Amino acid sequence: MSTEQAVRGAIQTHSKRVWRFGLALSGASDVADDLLQATALRALEKHHQVTSYERLDSWLMTICRSIWLNEIRSRSVRKAQALSVTPEAELVAHGPDSETNIFAAQVFTQVMQLPEAQRETVMLVFVEGYSYREAAAMLDVPIGTIMSRLSNARQKLKTVMQHGGTDTVRRSGK
Amino acid sequence: MKFSDETLLAYLEGSLDEAQARVIEDAVAEDPTLESHLMALDPYAPVVKQVFEAVPAETPSIDLPVTAAPQSNAGPLRLLAVAASVAVIAVSATFWVTRPKALGWAEQAAIYQSLYSSETIASLDNSPQELDAQFAQAEALLGRSLSRDLLENLPGLDLKRAQVLSFKGKPLVQVVFADARGNPFAFCVIRQGPNAPAKDLNLAVLSGLATATWARDGYGYMLLGGDGQTDLSGELSVLTEAFSG
Repeated sequence: MSTEQAVRGAIQTHSKRVWRFGLALSGASDVADDLLQATALRALEKHHQVTSYERLDSWLMTICRSIWLNEIRSRSVRKAQALSVTPEAELVAHGPDSETNIFAAQVFTQVMQLPEAQRETVMLVFVEGYSYREAAAMLDVPIGTIMSRLSNARQKLKTVMQHGGTDTVRRSGK
Repeated sequence: MKFSDETLLAYLEGSLDEAQARVIEDAVAEDPTLESHLMALDPYAPVVKQVFEAVPAETPSIDLPVTAAPQSNAGPLRLLAVAASVAVIAVSATFWVTRPKALGWAEQAAIYQSLYSSETIASLDNSPQELDAQFAQAEALLGRSLSRDLLENLPGLDLKRAQVLSFKGKPLVQVVFADARGNPFAFCVIRQGPNAPAKDLNLAVLSGLATATWARDGYGYMLLGGDGQTDLSGELSVLTEAFSG
């Protein structure tokens, strides 16, 4: 398999993850569309730099973030650390009942309202499953910074989580 | 340092003071196993993951070029070209190693001589007149004497014929004898040219025949026995001395 084939395969396989990361970075699904498209084209251009097929997912994430930081965010009006508007919570309204949907929308909104550094760290570790040290390498910060960002994010998520957790227990006890 | 799950959960809930939290973070930085354990205990991660895994609901569309940038396409094609040329080289090398080696005049003469049987030479006209004509022609083409007197008096051999042949445009003379039992025997001389290297006597069995070759002063010489076991030493002692330059 050529590196180009491997990159094309990785783009298809990880398109949801890259789009999701783009959404978390930008807070807007249209920008996430653009970020995914730009990431795919950039990755294809750079396919000859690929030396290992094992972590193409994190490579794509890094490209996506680089495009966001260097080319899109600087031109965006959304320069605030936290996203000023609640981004499209209907994106997550797919649960089986309204209570679950409300809880999911609250978690989604809370994560999206985190400062950008915490937001991208939560996405990489909590959602995409990268280890602290993998996220540290991808974001080019010390592992302690990753852990402290996550601690701060947990504090902000605590209220909605405890509320949701209580709901879950109550529903289970019905 | 070992941490209890209660301590790690307290860290994740934010219940530890800053100094205690720093101790755990420093330990995690040094210990991937502790890192994995702490991550597994995190009650926030699975909740956030579950929420975001549903996003986006549909696989997003990407508009990828069918063929990538020129340098992207050149990779496989260039590799293919390299592979093809390597294959050609490999085939050539294999052919070069396994192909029949270009035969020298001695090998060709041995093959030709190996086709001779006693019947071939039994019917040859070796009258003096015939031999006169043959030797005159052969010596003219070779540009040197064949010492017919010496050849006619080789012990145990009956001179039968001098035949003019050619090898790659060079005159090659085959002098055929019959040994005491009527089997063919031959002495060949080729004019190789003034720049041909001198070669010391070399004994070999070629095409099933015992042979001896040497070269001096632009001429190559070859003695061929009737079979692979023929003792050539008697004839060689005479011939190498007579045809030594």
